[in-house]
Amino acid sequence: MVIQTENLRKRYGRGTEALKGLNLSVNEGEVFGFLGPNGAGKSTTIRILLDLLRPTSGTVSVLGQSPHGNAAMRQHIGYLAGDFVVNGRQSGHELLRYLGRLRGGVPQARIDELAALLDLDLSKKIGSLSKGNKQKVGVVQAFMHRPKLLILDEPTSGLDPFLQQQFVRLVREASANGQTVFMSSHVMSEVQQTCDRVGIIRAGELIAVEHINDLRAKAFRKVEVRFQAAVDLPNIAGVRDEHWDGNVWRAQLTGDADALIKAIAPHHVVDILSEEPELEELFFSYYQTGEEK
Amino acid sequence: MSVFLKSLRDNRRGYLGWSVALTAVAAMYASFWPTLGQNPELTKAMDSYPQSLKEALNLQDMSKPENYLGTSVFGLLVPILLAVFAIAAGTKAIASDEEAGTLDLVLAHPVTRVKLALQRLLAIATALTLITGLMWLVVTALRGPSEFTSVSPGRILAVCVQLAFFGLFFASLAYAVGAWTGRKGLAIGAGAAVAVLAYLSDSFLPQVDGLKWIERFSPFEWYLGNEPLKNGISGTSLLIFAGLSAVFIALGTWRFNRRDVAV
Repeated sequence: MVIQTENLRKRYGRGTEALKGLNLSVNEGEVFGFLGPNGAGKSTTIRILLDLLRPTSGTVSVLGQSPHGNAAMRQHIGYLAGDFVVNGRQSGHELLRYLGRLRGGVPQARIDELAALLDLDLSKKIGSLSKGNKQKVGVVQAFMHRPKLLILDEPTSGLDPFLQQQFVRLVREASANGQTVFMSSHVMSEVQQTCDRVGIIRAGELIAVEHINDLRAKAFRKVEVRFQAAVDLPNIAGVRDEHWDGNVWRAQLTGDADALIKAIAPHHVVDILSEEPELEELFFSYYQTGEEK
Repeated sequence: MSVFLKSLRDNRRGYLGWSVALTAVAAMYASFWPTLGQNPELTKAMDSYPQSLKEALNLQDMSKPENYLGTSVFGLLVPILLAVFAIAAGTKAIASDEEAGTLDLVLAHPVTRVKLALQRLLAIATALTLITGLMWLVVTALRGPSEFTSVSPGRILAVCVQLAFFGLFFASLAYAVGAWTGRKGLAIGAGAAVAVLAYLSDSFLPQVDGLKWIERFSPFEWYLGNEPLKNGISGTSLLIFAGLSAVFIALGTWRFNRRDVAV
């Protein structure tokens, strides 16, 4: 177990309780998506893992150790926040050399490789870079030392779609390399493309942990079939909201596609289109049911 | 020592700028000595001031260069500017960095909070040494051209060393408040309040009947009270400054190591 929390609570001063007994387990080598609405406690959890915050009660272990005052443990962690801010009056090179030295040295070749992959100019002052390019510097510093554990807090906010794609590639590489990734995100496409499991946190509690494939099965996808001519279709398991538009039949499909395929097979099918399942709405339903309680 | 070196590098412009500016102020005042100090009219005019005002403004017999230097060069503008520098630097060490949101990244690296704080303080101590060291060199070099050879380099060194400790005191205070609270405004406010009180309790407040004793608790008094330009370094002064700075640093670091780092 790379990350484990038991009954983790965090109260800020005498004010709100940001975490109300969080129980979280992240296995070695997996990519774990940590999802939830703003203010649900995602960043609080991440800051406790990094020892920036101290829990009010409960236990937390990262890479088998308590984070409390444990600087040596952070040698094996790479951290990236969504709003990556650093002193802008230094170049990317200067910052990365410094951070590398804090970690006891990172090969320059590795830094250059990542900068090239992200198309990032490290000689420029960070203050003169666009938000997206600043975030790239953040990506490099998190990945450069190939840490055992990557903790990413909404890492791609501000990155354009091309860079989000490069980021997905980096996460997959890290995962293939045996590194564990713990990532909070609002971008469902990157969650769908990278995560093995997701945990959903709401109001300081973990309300669900699911394998991404199980979620896919639960989610519905839009299906569109173009026939040679309109046909009569029987009731098909998993299909709802069906309607005809000329010779085109549209519907939403949940789960197994087998019944649908067999039902349309006898007819002349010109074209068939099935979209990637939309997890966003599924999460939305998770988030909402809580608010109604 | 990565944090120490990076801190020096990040602040190099500020440190050099303050060194040059403070030394320029000291050099300018010192080079006025032949014109102002040896001017009998001025001495006569000052004789007519009430004694209490002279004490409050730290005006002494201006016909002696050590008095002139103690009053004009090292008496007011230079220590006040150095206190401003020290308070800003002490605040920047933790509180400014924390409020800007840039402290998180470094603390997510394998460096302890104590090590981070102490190395940044060491950088400030280095800057204070640089500022007062340069000032000593330049003021000493002006002894001949500006005709105050009767003040020895050792005596000028004494006042510069006490000035450095005076700065360390304010840097430690602002550091401690900032490290304890994480709030920039509080750190600057506390430093400025103590600086103003320190000045008043060494100038006007002791003139009030029954408040003479307050002088003894003023950092300005610890800094100049023994008249280092005449008497050399006061071990007691250095001990008071060093002791209080150590207490501030210990308290601030103790709390910083235990509390939450602000988002």
